[in-house]
Amino acid sequence: MAIADLLLLLDANPVYRNRVVHKDVVRQAEAQYGALRMPLSSSLAAYLNHKRIRLYSHQCDAIDHIRAGKNVIITTPTASGKTLAFNLPVFEKMEMDPDARSLYLYPTKALSNDQLTTLEQMAKFTGISTKPAIYDGDTPQSKRAAIRDNARIIVSNPYELHQVLSWHAKWRPFFSGLRFIVIDEAHRYRGIFGSHIAFLLRRLLRLCLFYGSKPQFVLSTATIANPVEFAGNLTGQPFDLIHEDGSPHGRKTFVLYNPFYDGIGERSGHQETKDLLLSCVKENLQTLCFTGSRKMAELVTLWAREDARHISSRLADSISAYRAGYLPEERRVIERQLKEGSVKGIVSTNALELGIDIGSLDAVIISGFPGTMMSTRQQAGRAGRNGTESLAVLIAMANPLDQYFMNHPDRFFSRPHEHAIVDTRNPYIVSGHLLCAAAELPVNDVTDTVFFGESLSSFLADLSTHDLVRKTSRGWVYSGRGRAADAVQLDGIPGPTFRIVCKGKLLETMDRGQAFREAHKGAIMLHQGVTYVVNEMDLETHTVRVSETDVDYYTQPLKEASLSVLETIESHLVNGMKCAFGDVEVTETITGYKIKHKDTIIGVEPLTLPPLTFRTKAFWIILPDHIGQKVIAAGHDLPGGLHGAEHAIIALMPLHVMCDRWDIGGLSSPVFGENSEPVIFVYDACEGGIGLAEKAYEVLPALLTSAHELVRDCTCEKGCPSCIYSPKCGNDNQPLDKDATILILGELGREPEKNGPCPPCLSGQEITVP
Amino acid sequence: MGALWQQRMDSLRDYEVVRDGNVFATNFSNNILFSSEYNGARQYLNNLLKRYDGSSFDGVFCGGREHANEGGTCYLLESREPMVYPAFDQDRYLAEILGDLTLVHGIGKVTEKRLKIRGYRTLHDLMEHPKFRSNAQRAIGCLSTGSSGKITELICSRYAKSHPQVLATAGLHEPGDYVFLDIETLGLFSRPIILFGVGFLEHGELVVRQYLLRDIAEEPAALLATMDHFSSVHSALVTFNGKAFDAPYISDRLAYYGMGALTGIPHFDVLHFSRRRWKDELPSLRLSALEKEILGVHRDEDIPGQMVPEFYETYLRSGNCGPLVPVVEHNRQDVVSLARLFFHLLGEVYGHC
Repeated sequence: MAIADLLLLLDANPVYRNRVVHKDVVRQAEAQYGALRMPLSSSLAAYLNHKRIRLYSHQCDAIDHIRAGKNVIITTPTASGKTLAFNLPVFEKMEMDPDARSLYLYPTKALSNDQLTTLEQMAKFTGISTKPAIYDGDTPQSKRAAIRDNARIIVSNPYELHQVLSWHAKWRPFFSGLRFIVIDEAHRYRGIFGSHIAFLLRRLLRLCLFYGSKPQFVLSTATIANPVEFAGNLTGQPFDLIHEDGSPHGRKTFVLYNPFYDGIGERSGHQETKDLLLSCVKENLQTLCFTGSRKMAELVTLWAREDARHISSRLADSISAYRAGYLPEERRVIERQLKEGSVKGIVSTNALELGIDIGSLDAVIISGFPGTMMSTRQQAGRAGRNGTESLAVLIAMANPLDQYFMNHPDRFFSRPHEHAIVDTRNPYIVSGHLLCAAAELPVNDVTDTVFFGESLSSFLADLSTHDLVRKTSRGWVYSGRGRAADAVQLDGIPGPTFRIVCKGKLLETMDRGQAFREAHKGAIMLHQGVTYVVNEMDLETHTVRVSETDVDYYTQPLKEASLSVLETIESHLVNGMKCAFGDVEVTETITGYKIKHKDTIIGVEPLTLPPLTFRTKAFWIILPDHIGQKVIAAGHDLPGGLHGAEHAIIALMPLHVMCDRWDIGGLSSPVFGENSEPVIFVYDACEGGIGLAEKAYEVLPALLTSAHELVRDCTCEKGCPSCIYSPKCGNDNQPLDKDATILILGELGREPEKNGPCPPCLSGQEITVP
Repeated sequence: MGALWQQRMDSLRDYEVVRDGNVFATNFSNNILFSSEYNGARQYLNNLLKRYDGSSFDGVFCGGREHANEGGTCYLLESREPMVYPAFDQDRYLAEILGDLTLVHGIGKVTEKRLKIRGYRTLHDLMEHPKFRSNAQRAIGCLSTGSSGKITELICSRYAKSHPQVLATAGLHEPGDYVFLDIETLGLFSRPIILFGVGFLEHGELVVRQYLLRDIAEEPAALLATMDHFSSVHSALVTFNGKAFDAPYISDRLAYYGMGALTGIPHFDVLHFSRRRWKDELPSLRLSALEKEILGVHRDEDIPGQMVPEFYETYLRSGNCGPLVPVVEHNRQDVVSLARLFFHLLGEVYGHC
């Protein structure tokens, strides 16, 4: 058995042996079958017979609840048959009620295609006339009307739905018959995107109410700590939870692998990822490797293919990259090759984290903690789909969170799952969707508070002073000049999309922030293993022109941020330090970029790009004079200490609040504001904030304590990527002073409160921060 | 917050301003404005604001009055234009239709020729034909109802939608049945319609009724007033590009207010017939170009249609109704030209009949 061989290799090979810090084995589990309270119709029962499917306990549970008219959220693991659990009751309703319609929302087109195939097969076999069809940006104009009028199951994505809602008159038959809204992979809709989706769904429900329907929700998600609360925030409806898994699985081994076990790390984690991937592919294990960035996916693929070519070109060709920026045709080819088995190793970013059914995979390599336990489990769950033995490996990077887990494996495996955050109060998001809603149907400032919250009236008043809505006897009517849905972008990043073009051919598209970071003039970009250099970035036409190149260096942007406090909403004392939460305005400028060869900086180039300014929520900590004096008296560097503390706090934020590190930003200064005080800011990296800094402010003592432990317990001498060095630092990790950081965090986190979040600290007296 | 959205909305224009003479750009987008047109219109807007500063609504639009219905109120402007329209010989037309064998399912031009040689001259003759008998029966049944809708349907099913034969079916309506319609809006869909221009024939004249919104709140009343023109079962809608724009836009707004729909009315889109008639002769088929080339109409002080939203917004924000003056005139002229162009084409078709 190939898995056993690879496990032996991990034990026997001295290089591997040292790096394996922990192995966790989950035993094989038998299937738990269930029985439905009422039998399925003969056509559906025949379908199950034909497919030789016997329903698991959780599937029966889900079907019973859905039949009872409940909104249901299913959180059982990847490959436990969630899709069937909702497809059966949907088809049953379609069979009984000829006017019934259902909407399936998927986050990506690839997932929509897979689901369509399943639905078509089911419709064909059962003879239930659901006429499933995809309706998205790729649907030709000529087919749209027929799909709207005839398809009883429409598979779409949130972006399309956002565009479609203002055309509701054409959707009347569909909306008035809508019985189910199925949202698969619902955990994807968290953070900024999730908050947008929450209002998109409210807009849809508002139209359904207008057309006299009240659809039922079925959500399926990866495992999260707060599924019912999350589903409630996302849809505004109450939910029943289905979580007891009845599906069988094979023996699973989860390996924690630390290239930096000796505190040094001979080679980068990415190089080690490549080695392990090659070992798996050589053992004939079909392996999926997840990397933290698009760039790394390309690099690991490039390196692995180079090495594999020494063995055979066929082995080299069996390794391929896959990521979100690829064009649809490119993706289709790779997906097909993976299913056929001609591809053995796939290196991907989280695009494949989503449950595309690509058959059984033997091993999963996760190169670097993906930021959340939920993603980790989701990615690891891709191995061993058909009940066979499987392997998952987490390769730690030299960053604080990864190293924290390597040093505390128990925390990794026992940690409670994170809370998924959907913030329905971000004023930018609420008001944007309010504009869209007002363009769909007149807004009633009393009854529509159900959808838009109690602040509805004040939002409307504000929008009306800017002539965007007008009050009429029929409600508030949209009167802006632009199309509202065009002004509101669901990923919350305002501004245009940049097109990356090589010799007139479109390679990919990027939002403005990403383009500024990755596609500025002079940047080295990778696409499908080919290296490109950016020749020109045209800010007016939003076009980036690149050409193929052959260089052995890569580039990293340098960023400057400035910040001003607009309003302090709350403040209190933690261990004698002033901590506050409020509104701030952040201005970020990409000032230049580093040119790096391997890990060495070989040059720095300046850039002139317009600044990106946004208002957001932040918490901040103001150090009292005596600590600053203590740091200086001890001969340490105060700015370096503050900067280090900022990095450590940001590094451990995901331990307490579910977020990706790119969702948070930080800034520290020894002399901030009128009083020239030393201060550390941590802010939500998006307009209006998204509830992350707010949540962190509530659990600040626990956050500060864990940050202190991290830096204190790190074996390095002067700071390293495992403690205070930040991989995304725009200031090139300068200045940093580890001793000063320990001193400052020691004062902040003086009363240790271990193991997770604690209630807000209310012991200190309220103070006002200037 | 509102300021932020306003800023973003202002950056979303439905048209693009390109440098004069950049004909190349016109290939890429239907909605371009040359910078001289744009600058001229901006200048005109400023002049209007100065000229009408402090003027009242009734003072600017003399002869206008408030129109009230169950939707509320809006502002009504009415004017009359002499209109000549071609006479239509219904009997001759029907006789000709009976001779059109291609109206029978399964018969094309070639077959028709062969059949005529063999003596099948009319649809009635085909009743004797072993193969086409039943299909011919269906066509004759349709014609004998005398219903304009049914006949139009039959002809539409056998001819391209822009074919003169389809236009000819307009003759089955009484001249008083035609409702000429043109709307001005705040943008391309999902935004209010701010002016409805409706034309109809009365005592040999074209009566143009314009329902203008003094405020966005008056849209339901103006919608209802417009819909009232379609209350007769014989009404036929005539537009320029209305199949793609005006009709779906109105349906969209009716749905927005939950006020029903605009359906089941015969609709003659003059753009389609014009395109077929003049596409090889004229470089532009915009209404403004056609009225100049075909009807010889010249407009003074017109504004580009794309800039109507900006003019209306300026009125809303300033309360100065000056910017509405050219919008109203632009719309009125569009309705008049639409009617003239329609009768011009119809005359040509009758001439051939």
